[in-house]
Amino acid sequence: MSGPENGKKKRVLILDDEPNVVTYLEILLQDNGYETVSAANGKEGMERAKTEKPDLVCLDITMPEQSGIRFYRNLKDDPDLAGIPVVVVTAVTGTGGDPEPFRRFMSTRKQIPAPEAFFSKPIDQKEFLDTVASLLS
Amino acid sequence: MQPADHRIEMDDIRRWVRKELWDQVPVNISVIDQGFHIVETNRSFQETYGEWRNRPCYEVYKGRSTRCDHCGAARTFSDGKVRVREEQGVNRDNEETYYLVHMLPLVIADGTIPYVIEMSTDISATKLLEKEKLEAERLAAVGQTVAGLAHGIKNVLMGLEGGMYVVRSGMEKGDGDRIFQGWQMLEENITRITAFVKGFLEFARGTTPEVNLVDPNRIARKVVELFRHTAKLEGIELKGNLQPDIPYALLDEEGIHTCLSNLVSNALDACQISDKNGRHVTLSTHDQDGKLVYEVADDGNGIDYEIKKKIFTNFFSTKGSDKGTGLGLLATRKIVQEHGGKVSFDSKKGMGSVFRLEFPRDRLPQPTNTKQDEP
Repeated sequence: MSGPENGKKKRVLILDDEPNVVTYLEILLQDNGYETVSAANGKEGMERAKTEKPDLVCLDITMPEQSGIRFYRNLKDDPDLAGIPVVVVTAVTGTGGDPEPFRRFMSTRKQIPAPEAFFSKPIDQKEFLDTVASLLS
Repeated sequence: MQPADHRIEMDDIRRWVRKELWDQVPVNISVIDQGFHIVETNRSFQETYGEWRNRPCYEVYKGRSTRCDHCGAARTFSDGKVRVREEQGVNRDNEETYYLVHMLPLVIADGTIPYVIEMSTDISATKLLEKEKLEAERLAAVGQTVAGLAHGIKNVLMGLEGGMYVVRSGMEKGDGDRIFQGWQMLEENITRITAFVKGFLEFARGTTPEVNLVDPNRIARKVVELFRHTAKLEGIELKGNLQPDIPYALLDEEGIHTCLSNLVSNALDACQISDKNGRHVTLSTHDQDGKLVYEVADDGNGIDYEIKKKIFTNFFSTKGSDKGTGLGLLATRKIVQEHGGKVSFDSKKGMGSVFRLEFPRDRLPQPTNTKQDEP
């Protein structure tokens, strides 16, 4: 188990418009000792972030209604929520699947820092869980 | 300076212009008589086209044995108007050339026009660049398509991997519900990849467009006919508003059919999810400023700003994974770009949308074979 064994379980907000991806990440994270909440677009995600106060956000980029980029910028603009670490999980990547240009792109405007971690779909389970655990430790 | 000196100077200039400029300008000049024979040229002309004496213009400029079908000089002889045209011909080395030609009538005192003067500039280099640019745009479209396919496949892979994880962990825990849930995820993603493969084939078919001279309205009529029944079942009025006598165009009929089908299908979907009573889809054609234009208009629910931005992005769909693969507009854009055209749209949330395919006629591809409609 990568999650905390004792005390209050850490809560992860999963944002993805693909129900299969949400189910996968929910089960994977719950199996590893986390509590999960989810939303299918950026707008709904922002509401949930405010009410649920998650400890970490798993964020997809290409979603209807409001994209992951808009959500990310809104989150980092909100003083109450800016401290929540964000793990981007997306199929959008640079040439040859290199996530670095995209990671930088997300932080270029409005002096916003880059997301704490970036995963290209499909994810490496172990690497993903290790990253989540270290961001929450 | 004396005024007399000044006049002498002007005369010198005029003499020089008459004698020298004729041969010095980097423009090919020829004088053509009413029998379409060249009677005089400048030096540049001779250097480009070679021997011209006692030869008709169509032979020298184009290597033809008969007069050109839409001869501009003949029209200038009859109406006395100056004409400017782009033409294609062959030079003295039998190389294909493109030139911009100005045709000027030489009108004499009694008002008749015994000669037409043709001044032509070689624009082969520009044409070549234009062609290369078009080719680059086509390649870029292919690149975007490949990136789009990769994006779609990654999403499916993530779903399949998720399904595998859920099944495997369900088996480890002896949790039948979880195994069933994982199995469903696997099934859904298999269905999705099947739909993608169908989409890929649409793309593959578009890679070598079969271009022929066709009636643009005929394709539109076929598409209206194809969707008439579906539209009627859904209570939507689908009609064609086609410009009569629209000129024929070099198009890949099947490709354009795919594009229009995608747009009409989207428009019908937009009407279906609209709560308004007015439910109309119109497919129209017209010719405007040298462009062939197709438009598909609906008064459905319109598209909001966030969606507008990614409407042509990879595999984007608002219809849910059971209905759309997100390939339709991507395929449409690819086919249109292969024709040197562009896709654009106007949409207002709650008011409906208009999707437009514009094909500048001078950018349309060359025919792939000789099969064509009779215009």
